Amino acid sequence: MSSPLPPLRIFYLEDNPLIVFHVEAMIEDLGHIFAGSASSFAELIANFDSFQIDGALVDIDLADGRTGPRAAAWLQKHGIASIFVTGQAEVAAEHPAVALATIAKPVSPKVLGEKLELLRKDAKPF
Amino acid sequence: MPGVPGSLDCVLILAPYRRDAEYMRALLDEHEVKVMQAVGPDELAARLAEAPGMLVVTHEALNRSVLSIIAEHLADQPDWSEMPIIVLLDRTAPHARIRAKLSTAWPRSRQIFYQRPVAAMELLSGLQSALLARLRQREVRDHIEREIELRRELNHRVKNILASVTAIFGMTRRSAASVEQLAEDFSGRLMALSTVHSAVFEAGGETIDLSDIIRRTCSPYRGDGGHRIMAEGPSIQVGRDAGTTLALCLHELATNALKYGSLSRPEGRVHLTWDLQSAIETVLTIKWIESGGPPVSEPSKAGYGTRYIRSALQGLFGSPPEIVFHPEGLRCIAAGPFARFR
Repeated sequence: MSSPLPPLRIFYLEDNPLIVFHVEAMIEDLGHIFAGSASSFAELIANFDSFQIDGALVDIDLADGRTGPRAAAWLQKHGIASIFVTGQAEVAAEHPAVALATIAKPVSPKVLGEKLELLRKDAKPF
Repeated sequence: MPGVPGSLDCVLILAPYRRDAEYMRALLDEHEVKVMQAVGPDELAARLAEAPGMLVVTHEALNRSVLSIIAEHLADQPDWSEMPIIVLLDRTAPHARIRAKLSTAWPRSRQIFYQRPVAAMELLSGLQSALLARLRQREVRDHIEREIELRRELNHRVKNILASVTAIFGMTRRSAASVEQLAEDFSGRLMALSTVHSAVFEAGGETIDLSDIIRRTCSPYRGDGGHRIMAEGPSIQVGRDAGTTLALCLHELATNALKYGSLSRPEGRVHLTWDLQSAIETVLTIKWIESGGPPVSEPSKAGYGTRYIRSALQGLFGSPPEIVFHPEGLRCIAAGPFARFR
């Protein structure tokens, strides 16, 4: 299954390597480009200059604590839209302004495909 | 923070006549009991919001608005709380009627009545006993809060494990050529996850010794050739999540070595070594070196194992591992800041 539009370059902020591994394969199956991952907010900041991305998937709890919402706000300031991917939708709901949507874990390819398209519409105006 | 139950060890005295309050204050000060005072209803509400442990009220303070302010405070108490209230009555007061009225007006309070004049020792022992009861309630509160916290944490962990299992299944399915292979690979990976979970739990829950992870992850293959994995390194405590990831990577390396690599031959070996080096920061290096197996060449398409190891070790160490299909045997070397393993 591939998208008729050009592929999106997606970054993934998640500290469970198994989930990164799985979602990376899903992103590629959808015809998009997996543009890397980081396990903590600190690691994202340290490596941000080297990223060329259209959007980010962001977990709530990362290797440096509950820093997902702060990371999404930080990405937003740098012109990158985020989507939360989390088992804690209630925490994501407390930060509606920093992410376009929330995807519940476990991630299904169908939902992922639909939500990633949101990044396309919103990524353009920046 | 107002309104939030504090340490509950403070006594609030409501006595409209200064001398009563001063007398009690002096008595309690002498015995190092913390005291707050209130004169009118407004001050009473403000002091109650600071969550005193108990209340002492004199008979003449009991008017309609005081009754209702205290009733409201009692109604807002959390489940574990039952505030002790000492009421000082005059000898001539209608004791039975007041007791009946207060027991209706102030539910969920522990009422103690004294007839004035009260001997200092009697009052003090009543207060101290009430504060002790309060201390027990506080322990119950801490216990309940801890339980709520644990339940939340448990829910979170179960969700994480289910997400991991979903990922393992999804990825195993992709690389399996048959249902039998899917079943075998999937159960092997789940078993590795289960083994490291038990190991972390037995170690106390937050950190675990790296050599313990290695010993347990390799033990299912002892009879099949796993005893030819020569593991050597110092005792290092790693965090739960890092330990889990390392165990799953080792499982992939070990099963691959048994099927296709050095451990598929009786003379084959694996040297698994790890070490910490301190420079500007402490760096952990782990090396998996196979030898004595069949000649190795790079597969045309990376399978689950190789892809997972690359992805997981990159995430864990902060830089990609070096995976070399050396003719003498597979080599996998990863190094990164040890701080990432806490």
